[in-house]
Amino acid sequence: MKLPRSVLLRVLSRSFLLQASWNYEQMQSLGLIYALGPAFRYYYRDAVLLAAYRRHLEYFNTHPYLATTVIGAVLKLEEQTQQGIDPGFTIKEFKSALVAPCAAMGDAFFWGAVRPVAAVFALLLAFHGSWWGPVSFLVLFNLPHIWFRLQGLIKGYGGGVRVVSLLQRWHLSDWAIYLKQSLVVLLGFFTAVLGATAAENLDAGLAWGCFAGPVVMALSVLLRRKVTPLLMIILLSLLLLSWYQLH
Amino acid sequence: MDFTALGITALVAVLCGLDRTAAGQFMICRPIVAAPLTGLLLGEATIGLQIGAMLELLWLGRLPVGAAIPPDDSQVAVGCTFLAVMGHAQTGLPPQALAAASLLIGMPFGKAGQLFDRLARLLNARLLNRAELALDSSQPKQLEKLHLYGLWHFAAASLATLAVVICGGMVCLPLFCKYMETSLVSAAPWLWLLFPLVGIGSLLSGLKVPRGAFLFGGSFVIGLFVLALR
Repeated sequence: MKLPRSVLLRVLSRSFLLQASWNYEQMQSLGLIYALGPAFRYYYRDAVLLAAYRRHLEYFNTHPYLATTVIGAVLKLEEQTQQGIDPGFTIKEFKSALVAPCAAMGDAFFWGAVRPVAAVFALLLAFHGSWWGPVSFLVLFNLPHIWFRLQGLIKGYGGGVRVVSLLQRWHLSDWAIYLKQSLVVLLGFFTAVLGATAAENLDAGLAWGCFAGPVVMALSVLLRRKVTPLLMIILLSLLLLSWYQLH
Repeated sequence: MDFTALGITALVAVLCGLDRTAAGQFMICRPIVAAPLTGLLLGEATIGLQIGAMLELLWLGRLPVGAAIPPDDSQVAVGCTFLAVMGHAQTGLPPQALAAASLLIGMPFGKAGQLFDRLARLLNARLLNRAELALDSSQPKQLEKLHLYGLWHFAAASLATLAVVICGGMVCLPLFCKYMETSLVSAAPWLWLLFPLVGIGSLLSGLKVPRGAFLFGGSFVIGLFVLALR
């Protein structure tokens, strides 16, 4: 029984609330049931529906943006099970095999790479008072976000277990590394902008801006040694304020 | 106190608090968006943009991976923007000075956000027990309602964090501005640079990138060169 497009759209829209009841015991389990709900009600009735819900009320935790990939594949497997097709493993086994790699790839790609790159790009604009900063951040971040949610559900539901090879083809881990390298380049350029602004503040030549690079490197070494950014910012700000207070 | 402004701030805080984990995750909650949005709605867009730009990078490297809860920079951004806008109206200090002062005061209070967020997640665990009971009593629809109930917990946690940031800030910020007024105004352009510099340091400290130092150094030198040619 193939799912109509309207049901898939409802599953997709509900996936945006996957983490509404995030908890330490089963993490996104209720969210998964909430997202699967429209499709399950289409597939099952009464006691069979209850049994399906009970099957999925278990530990589930993956990256929220790649969750639709798992959800799509799970729906396909449920459909195949109904048709008597045996994939050679249970849906539970498939889910637990897929969630951890999706979580790891999603964390590295979205949180570790796309978000900081979009943020630094936005800051380069916002630092000069441009309103394009926040706008560009939202656009740069949400284009891949929405694309992966949508493609994940389409390909997951279309491919079922074959979604594993699709995840490999996306090369998200490689893209994360390339984006992180771009991030370092953007950070270097942003430091140069800050250095140039500092030189302007001092009414000195741009050469004084050269100090910004080593300062950032020194700060990063200190922060690597368990000094928190909050503590550092408060200490440095107090030092700066005391200097002006005394002079 | 301007209760309309407070109401608007609370609405933005809930919107950002939900976007942070529970709903959508479109990243409206990031300081670079949340603070300008608050500032815009309170009629002081520039202050919001300044606070967002100063705060964005500081905790960006703290990833919401697994059960980890990063510091609540969304509520800090929203709360500090409210404090700075109110402070600007009352004291007439320059926006840049007030943005820096409100962040220095508000950020430590924002640490409370992690506590409230943890509490919301603990309360959500109780929903699981109720979900089991709903299944036992053959009420599958109830599961979906219970799931959405979690949104209230996250919204309450956001408001609680905002309350701590604003209340703490309203007590400490006037005193801070009173005693540090002159030095704050003079130091403001440097504080404006210090926040992103520490933020860049913080991001770099957590990045493990092949040839990272070379890429950073190279782009920094080229960047300075390009800026010198302007």
